[in-house]
Amino acid sequence: MQPPPEHVHWLFATGFLMLGLCLVAEAVVGTAVWRKRTWRAYLWPGIAFGLGVFMWPVMVFFTSSTLHMLAHGIWAQVLMLGGATELALVRGKLQSSWWRLGMASAFVVSGAALLVHEQNAWLFQRSSFLHHLLGWTLLIGAVFPLARCVRPRSQAVAAGFALTFVAIAVMLYCDRDVATVFGHISPLAGTPHR
Amino acid sequence: MKRLLPIAIAVVALVFPAPVFAHATMEKVSPGFRERVPSSPRKLVFRFDQHVQVVPGSVRVFSSRGSVGSIKARSEGRFMKASLPRLETGAYTVRWHVLSSDGHVVSGVFTFGVRAAAPPPTEAFGASGPTRTEHVVRWLYFLSLALVIGGLAFRLIVLRGPLAARAEKRFFVVTGIGVVATIDVGIAAFILRAEDALQLPFSRLLYGDLSPIAHSRFGTVFIAMTLGFALVAALLFLAWLTDRALFLWPAFLLALAFASGLSLSGHSAVDAGSSWKSQVADWAHLSAACIWIGGLVQLAVVVWPLMPEGRRTAFLAFSRLATVCVGILLLAGVYLSILRLPQLNDLWTTGYGQVLLVKIGLVSLALAWGGVHKVLVVPAVARGEAGGRLQRSLVGESMVGMAVLLVAAVLVDTNPPAQPAPQPPAATSVTP
Repeated sequence: MQPPPEHVHWLFATGFLMLGLCLVAEAVVGTAVWRKRTWRAYLWPGIAFGLGVFMWPVMVFFTSSTLHMLAHGIWAQVLMLGGATELALVRGKLQSSWWRLGMASAFVVSGAALLVHEQNAWLFQRSSFLHHLLGWTLLIGAVFPLARCVRPRSQAVAAGFALTFVAIAVMLYCDRDVATVFGHISPLAGTPHR
Repeated sequence: MKRLLPIAIAVVALVFPAPVFAHATMEKVSPGFRERVPSSPRKLVFRFDQHVQVVPGSVRVFSSRGSVGSIKARSEGRFMKASLPRLETGAYTVRWHVLSSDGHVVSGVFTFGVRAAAPPPTEAFGASGPTRTEHVVRWLYFLSLALVIGGLAFRLIVLRGPLAARAEKRFFVVTGIGVVATIDVGIAAFILRAEDALQLPFSRLLYGDLSPIAHSRFGTVFIAMTLGFALVAALLFLAWLTDRALFLWPAFLLALAFASGLSLSGHSAVDAGSSWKSQVADWAHLSAACIWIGGLVQLAVVVWPLMPEGRRTAFLAFSRLATVCVGILLLAGVYLSILRLPQLNDLWTTGYGQVLLVKIGLVSLALAWGGVHKVLVVPAVARGEAGGRLQRSLVGESMVGMAVLLVAAVLVDTNPPAQPAPQPPAATSVTP
């Protein structure tokens, strides 16, 4: 018994939203205040790593196509990699801020996987639109983790980084047509097909 | 206003539902995957999650002798129906293709049986079985398992206690490469097997339905092992991050436990004569080989170059562990060989036997090499007289071990000779 894909997307959207909100809070109050409680420093990298671990069941149980399986496998690995490098930086196991390229590369690979995975044009259908939007958001959003390597204290960069995750969460919430929050509020949508 | 227009289009595109989304997914089919039906079904009924259209040759049905003839399929909304001719008793393979609403052709394969058991989709009509690429992929899988299981065993049993920072880092790098490779090579193996079952070119394989393969024994093991080794990767990372070797124990035990997946889906589980004993023996054989070869790699790559002061202790401790591993390896190997090749002449008259002979030859070489280490080098190391040539010798022994794994990969993909059918019990007359 598998949950519908949109439910899984919403669960991950919730994870990205939590991650993004932690980053927004850190950007607003500043890193020094945010890290007054030690555990808070581990919070968002830990969520990213955890989301990577939880992506594996999605990869192995949703086998309706090779393309989806491969894409989810890539996302699982880059999320774990991005979260792991950030956790190691917080813990002091890694020192060079260039390790932040781990998160930047996670953004680039994820975005590329989304764009390769969607082979139709932007306006072909809503899923195409979302895939393109998510892909380009991640590719362009990779600028922020990249900038964190050279400007780790910049509030603008921190805010941009945080808002990228919030944007991804919103897009994932918009996924599929049977979402109760969005679904069939217009007669133009036609009859539900599921 | 012009600026707002793109934003408005984006909002509309996201908020309003549309009738179709990503490519079609088959939700249900009748007869189902590997279903055994009591009589010839009149038609095949496929249900998808969205509207689909038929394409030429949408449904093709094969018996063990070939195509059962031209099948006419039609689409009705989310359903595709195909009328079938009268099917005789036997197993059947169905290959299907539909045009999804996004313009992509989605494909799949499954099997069912009429008054007979159906084979798994990996043995569907047209599937050619393991290829040379699959042998190489399986070998890489064994090597990856050896790096993880052997690395963890070495760290927990041989190198107990804290290590120098550089040695600790290299241990985590080698074992980490092993666990990531185990996951990725496992995915490659699954897709290669699916490609053979689906018989599709790569561009169409991307839209191939893998769920029947995921529901097979091979697929279930793939799912369990991928999830298991993802957890092992997480535990390994936590051990490195927190400097707590405590996380390595659950990682080691999980890796050992999930390695049993290979024994639960291979010859020891499915061939005639297999039992829980053959599965346990296969698992013990694999685990012992992984600990031996992975431990040799750690000794050559971590201990020798980075821990000159710890060489003696590590070498002596590993020598004891390797002796136990070799004992288990030989006992389990001999038992499995007798089980699969009950006749001695099967060794040179069958393909399986010939590959096994090559493996036995390489194992003998590795054992002789290990024996030289045990008899000549261990006393020298105990006296503190080990030379720099020992590292090269260790690398050589581990290379032979890796060659053994390559032959083992070919052996796993080769079918052992058919077992003679058991004789029915003699009829006995019962007198009142």
